[in-house]
Amino acid sequence: MPRWGMVIDVKRCIACWGCTIACKEEHFLPPGVFFNRVLIGESGKFPTSSKLIYPVLCNHCSDAACVEACPTGATYVREDGIVAIDDEKCVGCRACMVSCPYQQRTYYDENVKTREYFPGQGKTEMEIIGEKLYPFKLGTVIKCNFCSERLEDGMKKGLTPGKDEDASPACVNICPVGARIFGDLDDPNSEINRLIMEKKGKQLRKEFGTEPAVYYID
Amino acid sequence: MNDKHQDLVETMFPSDGSGIKPYEWMISPTRQRQWIDDKGIFLWLAFFFSEIGAGLYFMSLFYSFRPGIVLGWLITLVLGGLIHMLYLGNPKRAWRMIMKPNTSELSRGIWIIGVFAVLGFLQIITPGGFNMVFNFIMGILCLLIISHGFATMNVVRALPAWNSTIVLPLSIISGIWVGHQLLQLMFAISGNAAAASGMEVWAATFFLAYFLCMLLYAWGTWHSSGAAKASIQRMLEGDLKQITYIGVGVLAILVPLVFTLIMWGGDTNGFLIFLRLASVCAGDLAIRYLIMKSAVYNPLI
Repeated sequence: MPRWGMVIDVKRCIACWGCTIACKEEHFLPPGVFFNRVLIGESGKFPTSSKLIYPVLCNHCSDAACVEACPTGATYVREDGIVAIDDEKCVGCRACMVSCPYQQRTYYDENVKTREYFPGQGKTEMEIIGEKLYPFKLGTVIKCNFCSERLEDGMKKGLTPGKDEDASPACVNICPVGARIFGDLDDPNSEINRLIMEKKGKQLRKEFGTEPAVYYID
Repeated sequence: MNDKHQDLVETMFPSDGSGIKPYEWMISPTRQRQWIDDKGIFLWLAFFFSEIGAGLYFMSLFYSFRPGIVLGWLITLVLGGLIHMLYLGNPKRAWRMIMKPNTSELSRGIWIIGVFAVLGFLQIITPGGFNMVFNFIMGILCLLIISHGFATMNVVRALPAWNSTIVLPLSIISGIWVGHQLLQLMFAISGNAAAASGMEVWAATFFLAYFLCMLLYAWGTWHSSGAAKASIQRMLEGDLKQITYIGVGVLAILVPLVFTLIMWGGDTNGFLIFLRLASVCAGDLAIRYLIMKSAVYNPLI
C-alpha cells in the first residue's frame, strides 16, 4: 500500500494562487473556505531580507494531532496515509480544528453554506451543481483530502498518481511551474523521495512531532 | 460593493480587531476562534458550569451536606451538560464521543461525567452515602471534572498559552474556590451561621492559592515562547485589556480580597458572602474567557 505525500519546491513557486483556485474549483468550496493557501512573508531585515512563499495545505500527518483529538474517530488516517473525515461520525466539536498546528480545517455551518459568490443574487448554477457533487454535511468539519476521489478513480483506470493528471490532486495538475510533486513516500525510488533526499526536504513545524507528509524544498 | 458583500467580508475578516487581515493568516500569531467565538461561547460557559458544579459537590463532601451535592450534581449535568450539547454541531451524535478515550481528552471527559452522573446519583439517594469510599471516589471524580475543561485545552500543543503546566492547578483551585463560596452561601442562607463562619478559615487560603496560580500562569506563559507571550500581551495591552483589568484585577482579585479582609476571623455575613461569590464567579468567567480568547498559534513561516 502506498503512502501518499507531496513535495513543494518553494524556489519554483511564483505565488500565482493557481493551486488555491484549482482546489476551490475541484471541491466547489464556498466563499471564504480554502483547502489550499499561499502564505507570503518576509525574513531578515533590509538589505538582507528575503521573501518567503509557502503554499500550505493539510499536511496529512502520520501522527496527526487532529486524529488524536477527535473524540469519535471521525478523523482517521487511511492506509494510504491520507487523513480523512467520516462526516457521518463527526459531532462538530471542532477539537481537531483547535489542535491542528497548521490550521487547515474549516467548520461547515449554516453561515458557510449560505454564502454566495455574488451576494444577494442567489447561487450560480455552478454553486448549485457543486453542492450536489460535494454535499458537505452541516455541523461537520471539512478539509483537503489530497483529492482522494481523483486518486481512486485514476488508479481504477490503471493510472499512476503523481504522473497521470487524471490520478493526481488538482493543485498538482494546475501548477504552471511544476512546484508540486506528488507521489508515494513508501517507494524508495519515487520522484518525491529522491527530491526529499537530494534537496533535504523539510516539514513545516516539525517540532510538534506530527510527521507531516508534505515536504518543502528550496 | 453592496451591503451583502460587505457583510460577507465582515463575517470572514471582522474589522473590530477580533480577526486578522487575510494576508496575515498564520504569518503573524493567529488566534484560535473555534472555542470562543460564535457558538464557541457555549463551550466557555459549559466548562464554567461543569467546574463550579463539581467544585460545590467536592466541598459538600467534606461537610456531608446533601443539598450541596444535589445542587452540584444538577449544575454539572444539567447546566454543564446541556450547554455542551448546544455547542456541538451534531448533538444527536454526542454518544459517539465515548469512542476514543485512549487518545481524546474530550472523550475521557465524557466517560468521567458519565461515571460521575451514575455514582453521584447513587450517593444522593443512598441514606449512608457519605461513607469514606464513596466520598473518596466522588472527590477524585469531582477534581477530574473541575479540571476537564482546562485539561482539554492543555493537551493542545499548537497553542502554547494553553499548553502550560500551571493551567491544570489553576483550574482545580478555581473550581474549589468557587465551590467553597457557593457552599458557604448555602450554609448562610440555610441559617447554619456556624458552618458558614467556620468555612471562612479556608476562604483566605483558597483565595491566596488562586491568586498565586494566576500570577504563575501569567509569568510562566510570558516566558515560555513568543506565541505564548503574544497571548499575555493581548491580555495586558491589547484588545482584551479591559476584561483583564476589570474582570481579573477588580472582580477576581480586589473585591474578594476586600471582602475576605472584612470577614477575617470568621465574622461572616450572608450578604457579604453573596457579593463575594458574585464577584468570584464573574472573575472566574473573565479568566476563562481571557485564556480561551487570547490563545494564538505560532506562525507557519
